[in-house]
Amino acid sequence: MNSLLSGRRVLVVEDEMLVLMTIESMLADLGCESVTAAATAAQALAFTESQVFDVALLDLNLNGHQSYAVADALIALNVPFAFSTGYGSDGVSEDYRDRPMLRKPYQPDAMARILGDLLAT
Amino acid sequence: MSSELEKSAEQSEAEAEVDSFRQDLGPFVVAAEATRMPMIFTNAKAPDNPIIFANDAFLSLTGYRRHDVLGKGFNSLMAVGVAPETMAEIEACFVNSPETDPEIHYRRKNGSEFWASLLVSPVRDEKGEVVQHFVSFVDLTKHKQDQAHCKMLIDELNHRVKNTLSTVQSIVIQALRTPASHETVRESIETRLFALSRSHDLLTSEHWEGAGLHDLVDNALEPFRVVEGRAERFIVTGENVRLQPKTTQTLAIAFHELATNAVKYGAFSNEAGTIHISWTIERGPEGKRLHLRWEERDGPPVVPPSRKGFGSWVIERGLAHELEGTVELSYPPEGVVCTIDIPLVKVALDE
Repeated sequence: MNSLLSGRRVLVVEDEMLVLMTIESMLADLGCESVTAAATAAQALAFTESQVFDVALLDLNLNGHQSYAVADALIALNVPFAFSTGYGSDGVSEDYRDRPMLRKPYQPDAMARILGDLLAT
Repeated sequence: MSSELEKSAEQSEAEAEVDSFRQDLGPFVVAAEATRMPMIFTNAKAPDNPIIFANDAFLSLTGYRRHDVLGKGFNSLMAVGVAPETMAEIEACFVNSPETDPEIHYRRKNGSEFWASLLVSPVRDEKGEVVQHFVSFVDLTKHKQDQAHCKMLIDELNHRVKNTLSTVQSIVIQALRTPASHETVRESIETRLFALSRSHDLLTSEHWEGAGLHDLVDNALEPFRVVEGRAERFIVTGENVRLQPKTTQTLAIAFHELATNAVKYGAFSNEAGTIHISWTIERGPEGKRLHLRWEERDGPPVVPPSRKGFGSWVIERGLAHELEGTVELSYPPEGVVCTIDIPLVKVALDE
């Protein structure tokens, strides 16, 4: 069992339940025991105010709305995060292009590598 | 004072030019005036290419009146609000004809924007000297709007395709998570893909603007109306209500999972069972809420499942997560009951 995420608290912001299911099972395979899932920006912002996270995965498009408000909150709190998206990187606003990007559909290896890099910094 | 005098001298010179132009060209002027293609002639012998003729189509394209443009330099008239590099492109057209007509972003007199491609061709006198330029325009505004709309649709399509592929990935991963026969795995993947596809059909028929709850129930439960040659018994009661596309898709998956479970273990696994689907709409200060109840009756005595699979995850966790509601799935001996309580108009921070 991979223990990359053992003891780490992960925030997942993803509005599609079946996609969330995949992320959760991939995170579980990486040894993650603590996943908090938000479906909307409002929920995610509430979680960032009440809980502490080591790393976050943020879907760029939440039911047609872009999730930059959550990205800004995570930056302010110093929580490393990656965007997840079905778009190429040109779907991301210039200001956030330096953030790592996890493409849909997800590859477990890419997820492990990106989360590993985020946690190492 | 002197500048006004000068201006009026310029003006009368220009008007004389226009008059002689009309007389010289006779029937061609009539044709140029009548055509729908915006066109002008400019004087090549004066600086800044003053306009000596403009047809009605040009005036309606640019929003100017004839006296605004006659005698005015073409370049300075068109330069209003146009980027300097674009002006350089326009000016180059008067010097040498480019291979492709430039597509240029202009402003009308009122400041609104339009796109046009520009064809400039020199008119020479008998000595071969360029005396005028003929300039015609093709209005590309609608074309550019269509292009932008197309790009938006393609972006949206890409987003949906990638999300759908991620959803399929989920279905496959979950089907392979527990040991089962090839047949079982295949059936579990196929039936879920067909369920997704049916809800997609329903939304497509409604132009992806959502669906009525009655149509959704009919659509999602259609494969369960007849099981093994026997008509099954759904009793559906509730006031019809429009649902957002997202709610439609999520509920469709939940109904599919509930019905699949009913066929395997619940009310549709014997001869007598019925499934009652009923709902009410509550109108509160924060918008409408849907209270939906799935209740199985007269099936075999229910035994709570020993392990929770895809179906119960989707219903208990997924649905509540995605639709920001509360969902309860219980297994009393007399029949499975699922209650779903979700907001119908989402009030989120970013909406």
